[in-house]
Amino acid sequence: MNPLQTNTLYPVQNSIGDMVREIFPASAVYINGFITIISLLMLVSLLPVFLIWLERKVAAHFQARLGPMRVGYHGLLQSTADGLKLIFKEILKPEGADTFVFFLAPILPATATFLVMTILPFDHHMQVADPAGGVIYVIGISGLSILGILLAGWASNNKYSLLGAMRSGAQMISFEISLALIMLLIVMVTGTASLREIVLSQQGTILDWWIFKLPVLGSIAFIMYMISSTAELNRAPFDISEAESELTGGFATEYSGISFAMFFFAEFVNMFVSAGIATTLFFGGFLAPQIGIGFLDSVLDFLPGFFWFFLKTFLIIFLYMWFRWTFPRLRVDQLMYLEWKMLLPANILLLMVGGVFLALGWIL
Amino acid sequence: MSDFLFYILATALVLLSVMAVSLPNLLHGAISLIGSFFVTAALYIMLRLEFVALSQIMLYIGGIIIFMLIIILLTTGLGRENRHPVNRWRRFAGAGVSAGLLYALLDTLQSAPSSILSGPTHRAPAVTMDDIGFRLLSTSQSGFIVPFEIISILLLVALIGAVVLARRDKCEEVLK
Repeated sequence: MNPLQTNTLYPVQNSIGDMVREIFPASAVYINGFITIISLLMLVSLLPVFLIWLERKVAAHFQARLGPMRVGYHGLLQSTADGLKLIFKEILKPEGADTFVFFLAPILPATATFLVMTILPFDHHMQVADPAGGVIYVIGISGLSILGILLAGWASNNKYSLLGAMRSGAQMISFEISLALIMLLIVMVTGTASLREIVLSQQGTILDWWIFKLPVLGSIAFIMYMISSTAELNRAPFDISEAESELTGGFATEYSGISFAMFFFAEFVNMFVSAGIATTLFFGGFLAPQIGIGFLDSVLDFLPGFFWFFLKTFLIIFLYMWFRWTFPRLRVDQLMYLEWKMLLPANILLLMVGGVFLALGWIL
Repeated sequence: MSDFLFYILATALVLLSVMAVSLPNLLHGAISLIGSFFVTAALYIMLRLEFVALSQIMLYIGGIIIFMLIIILLTTGLGRENRHPVNRWRRFAGAGVSAGLLYALLDTLQSAPSSILSGPTHRAPAVTMDDIGFRLLSTSQSGFIVPFEIISILLLVALIGAVVLARRDKCEEVLK
């Protein structure tokens, strides 16, 4: 067995990592790894709390309401209170349900989102790992969420759950093809599959971001990414898997307490992850939006990279929330029609035209 | 440290694989198969075969297992303990085959220990994704451009075939 050279694999190359290396030279590898995992875990557990509050606020303001106002400033602590309530709630298991699978299923989507978060480039040196095949990793790991939903639907021993899970599984598998093909386009034009390298290939002004750098194609690819990732996230208008009026609660019908919260949390962190990947692929990730004016650029550069990453990501999250209150829900057959007969051919065409652009050098 | 990790992973792999074939409930077997695929990917990472590990996760866990699960979920009689009775002769035959395989493996490993157990493989540089990409698309003697292109076309045909199959749906009339 060859020794794993952990210190050369993924060093934490920021000031905290250097500090740890200085104080504990021998065991810095493990301490740094531990610190990164812990900080990521904190982010993963805090994000959904904020995102749920944001979702409720955005929804409320779209409907000319105020939304949660009582707990904390403008209801900021509302989702914390809800979370506490869910933790203390009894977990009910339907009779005849498969205990092992029933409790395993909610863990899988949560794990998947955490695993994808490990390779998101939050800043120049704020990334737990940067595998050379980052895009492949993202596509592969997202299969775990589908797995969790399918198992949850079956283990609940409820026909509505199973129907919801089956719908959701079919939907996510179909739209994953589109997502993978769009990511392939970006991989093709950048020549790398590592997320960090993809971000670094967009250095320069705003026009160097892939959404503008590829004339016309970039924006089309982004719109298609938004459509297919909304479907992949099971969000409205593609939320047929838990259409309340038809399937009560979809695959999560029988879940309560913390098991339900885990599905819910994974859904929201997933939204963050897919918005973060959109930022990475199309909007220059942690790079500041420079516009080519010397003075302004230095001001923009002064702000840290993770600020820009989170700003861009939250703008895209706002878009997702906007979609929810703009488009009516699709039917199952319409959804499949959209994917297999419109998005997929369009994707293959996009990939071909992208190849032509690349060959002719029509990249800004 | 890494030896220790290897033994943990290897034990987990053996246990999960045995569970995958021996659990009476089909779905539990599929779940332990997923676990064994994950552990295999971890072993690949320990061997610094990053690309193989990622492909393992993407193809097996993201693709094949999902389809297996959908097939299992759609079949009836799930959740019952459907253990097939295996007669004594089959058991003997299975034991014989396993013993033969074990003997062949041990024999090979002992007859040529220098090339397998202590060979220079652990000193070879890790294969990066770029190496794999260049090798796949190189037109030289050692390149794999022709099989690569043939497989790509085959997969594209499968993808378009799926669309063509879906065209004969009734939903077109429903939509109009």
